Amino acid sequence: MSATEQSSAPAATSGRRRRSSQLTAAPWLLLAPFLLFFVLTFVLPILVAVGQSFTRVTRSGVFGEQGVTSEFAWFANYAQALENGNFIDSIFRMLLFGVVQVTVMIALSTVLALLLESASARWPGFFRAVYFLPYGIPGVIATILWSFLYVPGLSPVIDAAEVVGIELDFLGAGTVLWSIANIVTWTYAGYNMMIIVAQLKAIPTEVYEAAEVDGAGPLRVAASIQLPLIRPALVLTTVFSIIGTLQLFAEPQVLSTVAPDVDSEYTPNLSAYTTAFAYNDYNVAAAQAVLIALVAFALSFLFLRLTNRRS
Amino acid sequence: MRVTRRDLLRLGGAGAAGALLSACAGPGATPVNTRPTIPPADGPITLTYWSWLKDLQKVCDVWNAQNPHVRVEASWIPGGNDGGYQKMYSALAAGGGPDIGQVEMRTVPEFVLVDGLVDLRRYGVDQYADRFNETLWQQVSFVGGVYGIPQDSGPLALYYRPDLFEAAGAEVPATWEEWNETARRMRATDVYLECLDLSDTSWFAALAQQAGARWLRVEGEEWVIHMTDDATLQVARHFDRAIDEDLITTAYGQFSTPWYAAASAGQIASAAQASWGDALLQSVTSGAGQWRVAPLPTWGPGGYASSFLGGSTAAVLANSKHPKEAMEFAIWMTTSQEGIDAMIANSGIGWSPSRDYIGQSRLGGSDFFGGQSYNTEVFEPAAQPAAQNPDWSWWPITQQSFNILSDGFRQKVSGGTLVDAIATAENAIVEAFTNKGLSIRKAEA
Repeated sequence: MSATEQSSAPAATSGRRRRSSQLTAAPWLLLAPFLLFFVLTFVLPILVAVGQSFTRVTRSGVFGEQGVTSEFAWFANYAQALENGNFIDSIFRMLLFGVVQVTVMIALSTVLALLLESASARWPGFFRAVYFLPYGIPGVIATILWSFLYVPGLSPVIDAAEVVGIELDFLGAGTVLWSIANIVTWTYAGYNMMIIVAQLKAIPTEVYEAAEVDGAGPLRVAASIQLPLIRPALVLTTVFSIIGTLQLFAEPQVLSTVAPDVDSEYTPNLSAYTTAFAYNDYNVAAAQAVLIALVAFALSFLFLRLTNRRS
Repeated sequence: MRVTRRDLLRLGGAGAAGALLSACAGPGATPVNTRPTIPPADGPITLTYWSWLKDLQKVCDVWNAQNPHVRVEASWIPGGNDGGYQKMYSALAAGGGPDIGQVEMRTVPEFVLVDGLVDLRRYGVDQYADRFNETLWQQVSFVGGVYGIPQDSGPLALYYRPDLFEAAGAEVPATWEEWNETARRMRATDVYLECLDLSDTSWFAALAQQAGARWLRVEGEEWVIHMTDDATLQVARHFDRAIDEDLITTAYGQFSTPWYAAASAGQIASAAQASWGDALLQSVTSGAGQWRVAPLPTWGPGGYASSFLGGSTAAVLANSKHPKEAMEFAIWMTTSQEGIDAMIANSGIGWSPSRDYIGQSRLGGSDFFGGQSYNTEVFEPAAQPAAQNPDWSWWPITQQSFNILSDGFRQKVSGGTLVDAIATAENAIVEAFTNKGLSIRKAEA
């Protein structure tokens, strides 16, 4: 109940009252189209998923001919999801992936952004576009492109390495995760760079001038002025990347056709997808989805807390 | 307290959410096969068929020309678990979906489990049973019902490269025992005889089936699982040894991109594969004339000459309003000569499930296989009931079981064995059944 409504309601004349109710109605009316779709496509699916994650359908007998029951199952689905070693493995795999890939990518994006925004950069506009370009290529296509460089017998990289006596295996059990990390970094480094560049451009020129007067070189400017001032952008891109890591799906899904080591539960999202659509168990899949969201939430929160404390 | 518009909205929203939640809560309706049967339609009707066969509409059009009152429209869906089943499951859950859906043999019980398929015996399918291959008919029959019309399949044989065999001084193996020696000779010339994709266990399952395995069966009112039988363990030990001795490569699976690269470079000498592999083989660069087909090696006592790998059915889905007509179309498509020939010509189906007609275009020799009449020579005998394991049946969580098994098989690269993986998988599959509420027990050894 809004404050305006309450304060104006008791002693208001009819005219004032109409105006105030119009005032409160107008924003809602304008928001209605958005709210309608927001509720239908966002809030409701989440509610349904949470509801599903607490429901269990049991089919007894050989094919459920002895009765099909649907009941509130408390945390049984969550227990089943957590007992699934593959699902837990996939989360830890993504944590490992995130620690390495997000760090490398954000560092790379920062270096690229700083280079492009430095005074001595040549054709910064051109290179910005070039680095950003991979982001315009959908993950599925990017993975297909990269797999031509990964698959033995097709890859010129592997052939070239063989000539000098190095045996490369991009799709082996130990390497395929980093092959995926490479694709993800290739796709998103330019995008994150753009966010950082935008923040760099927001630094007032006076600050640079003052630094120049004080005799600071480019490295000193980067370390003492640019890096501290782009902190918000770095935090933002890192949080997005952490969430993105947990939601990795298309790249491993496509690579699984050429890499036997990428199984149907390689990432948490693949695991939820497989449970829902290959095993037809929407309830456990919903529990997995909620767990993924919780982990992403916890990690983002943890990261924000850590970075806030330091400042 | 005054009730504001917003409170009302909030209430309405919660109510709507609640209603939707309960709508999504799933079953409760009468199972499709206990409802009264639907009588044939009076007027003209249109049936829809969701399938991933290409150009299926051209096959339907042959039927449509003769049956103007029952028009069939084909609609393309992604193949099986690549998206097609997901679409069908969702449609079924929403109370809709096509009249006919393409469902793989091994997936039929998964659809039965979610009450998604019509038992065709209720619409008189028994009168057509003698038109079909007995083994395949057995694979669509469950606890007194028939849940799909077999539309294609694939008996296994051995595709091989005579030139590579000759170069290695090797004979075409008649048994899997001899296969070891052949593989060894191939390795001496730096060629692999075969590959094994540890993540795709359907090939392994087909060979276990050939050896005489019967992983799951219904006994009374429960499932009985027996994966650690002699037949399965024989196959597992065979490939354990083959991998240990580097007689077989696990780097890729048959017909994968790296396999094609190896095949066109002459680094792979044979493929134990289904009849439908012939079309895939023709994608091998400069492979024309290089390949021949021989019968599959055998396992010895208790085993069979061949086995079926893959294969699908035309199943009548639960929400069909015209199940009888849908069934009749499926029967026509899979057993009439014009139906079979149209399916081969347009959709390139696998082996026809018809008992006595393999398709006109499959009678003669093939240029790709150097003039060999491989269909009549090798595959036709391989598809005969005597050459096939008659007891094999699929179960309601096939896909999950295969994934469980492949999780175990993948441990092979880090020191595990296929034999151990099977024993572990058996327990995990029992647990998966139990989680669904289904009754299952292990067979007494």
